[in-house]
Amino acid sequence: MIDLFSPMGAVRALLPEIVLSAWALLVLLVVAWRHRTSADCRLAGWLSAAGVVASAAALVWLWGSGARSTGLDHMITLDWFRFGGAAVILFSAFATILVSIRYLDREGLVAPEYYPLVLLSTVGMLFLAGSADMIVLFLGLEVMSVGVYILAGYDRRNPASAEAALKYFLIGAFASGFLLYGIALAFGATGQTNLQLIGAQLATGPASLMARLGLALLIIGMAFKVAAVPFHMWAPDVYDGSPTPVTGFMATGVKVAAFIALSRVLIVSFPGFDQVWQPIIGALALVTMIAGNLIALAQKNIKRMLAYSSVAHAGYLLVALWPGTRLGAAAVLFYLLAYSLTTLAAFALLGSLGTGGERDVSFDDVAGLSRRRPWTALGLAICMLSLLGFPGTIGFIGKWTILEAVLAEGQYILPVVLVLTSLVSAGYYLPLIMSMYMKPEGERPAWKELVLAQPGAAIVFVTVAAVVVFGILPSGIVDASLRSAATLAQTVMPMAGR
Amino acid sequence: MAPDLLGPALALSAVLFSIGAAGVLLRRSAIVLFMCIEIMLNAVNLAFIALALLHGVAGHIMVFFVMTVAAAEAAVGLAIILVVFRHKQSVDLQHVNLLRG
Repeated sequence: MIDLFSPMGAVRALLPEIVLSAWALLVLLVVAWRHRTSADCRLAGWLSAAGVVASAAALVWLWGSGARSTGLDHMITLDWFRFGGAAVILFSAFATILVSIRYLDREGLVAPEYYPLVLLSTVGMLFLAGSADMIVLFLGLEVMSVGVYILAGYDRRNPASAEAALKYFLIGAFASGFLLYGIALAFGATGQTNLQLIGAQLATGPASLMARLGLALLIIGMAFKVAAVPFHMWAPDVYDGSPTPVTGFMATGVKVAAFIALSRVLIVSFPGFDQVWQPIIGALALVTMIAGNLIALAQKNIKRMLAYSSVAHAGYLLVALWPGTRLGAAAVLFYLLAYSLTTLAAFALLGSLGTGGERDVSFDDVAGLSRRRPWTALGLAICMLSLLGFPGTIGFIGKWTILEAVLAEGQYILPVVLVLTSLVSAGYYLPLIMSMYMKPEGERPAWKELVLAQPGAAIVFVTVAAVVVFGILPSGIVDASLRSAATLAQTVMPMAGR
Repeated sequence: MAPDLLGPALALSAVLFSIGAAGVLLRRSAIVLFMCIEIMLNAVNLAFIALALLHGVAGHIMVFFVMTVAAAEAAVGLAIILVVFRHKQSVDLQHVNLLRG
């Protein structure tokens, strides 16, 4: 048991975040002296990877010690939902760092400040995923976002990268404005900033206009961050223009943190408002699935296709969020893991197929990849099948848990659209596999001189193996996500019952 | 601020927020967009201060955090705008069109 109101309790509860913040500052200090050669850059990368491992060790210790708060979750939560989300976020950061070590070398981006930025935005993600208070939620979101704005424009000699940073920054700050106004209105309606206390306060009276408006603005702000249609306009451009490892980081870490926080806000703070938010979330999910998949069909280059596919997957996640039940929250968590593993591997592999941001690697460019580089082709093929939701991969189990959660609520439109749009998505995932395995090699493949160098190859191998292994033996992870969601619900029930 | 100013203060904050949001949607210069976003954030600050009359000091605390975050955002945002200006010799979003949504 941890008393979050005592200083020592707060330190224990925040140990993963504290370790990672301190480590990021340490790396920044090292980098101040050693930042000239690519060896220095690699040193910073390895140091940062060690920092993520240290933070993960603190997380495992906290998780394993069965920490629960003595009463109210003050500022930060202590439930499995936070720990599960944090584990996915830390893995995403770890994989991103390992893939970046050789990628930055190859692209001539010798500026080791990259790694502290990754660590600091990871700290923001951890706070966002663990927030029990609107203040922490907002600060976590901003720490995450400001770091990622810079990372998006990291290749600053490349105009596309600079443009991606500008678009991400303007839209991100705009979205923060909405989110903040939503927080202000929720505070105005209840006088509380703690998520549980907001929920308790709202349960006492009828739904006021101020609370409804606040809820709507909160959802809009978060919808921008997770790139749900119609708030997705920035996502393809930003994902396309950023350096590819950063794209993988944005598409996974940011989305995981934002979805965990959104689930928590909806389920903990607004449980009695489901008549208000269910139609909004349902409508967002519908248009996101349909538009995301249809536009992805029209893409010629692989990076943009993956960007739109990530928009489509935000739609599936919104479907999982729709029921607002334990089962739904568990499906959100499981799907976040499934989607993150697959997307990280896909972007890392794409990073070995071109140069200069991989913006011009088209479906034709990978023709004949299976003969020249069978392992890369196999990995990419497994990722595409998992994103498609093919049985035997983790993506299939993820979609299965979503369907189960939504069908349990007796809702049929969302599951039908989810299945139909998944079928549509075969129209852009499968051509990539066909191009790699069935077409003859082109004239001058962009990837001829490139390889996925160590240590990136090792982490991609682990990730792809996890996609398959958890696809065949999912029960351990499914149980863990169900238990995580159960602890989330436990913190709500006494409040909602008042 | 007298308690009877709560309504007008919230109304002013809503108007300011709308002006800022409309500006972001209608204007084309990155700098002006950024200024509009700052107006939105300050509209929220006004709302927090007004609501602190009702609900106590948490509103005031939030304002300090928002100001700090806005300052950090300004530092990063202006740097990004500078980088784009070096590439395009312009901060007009109409010229920022390498990537098409």
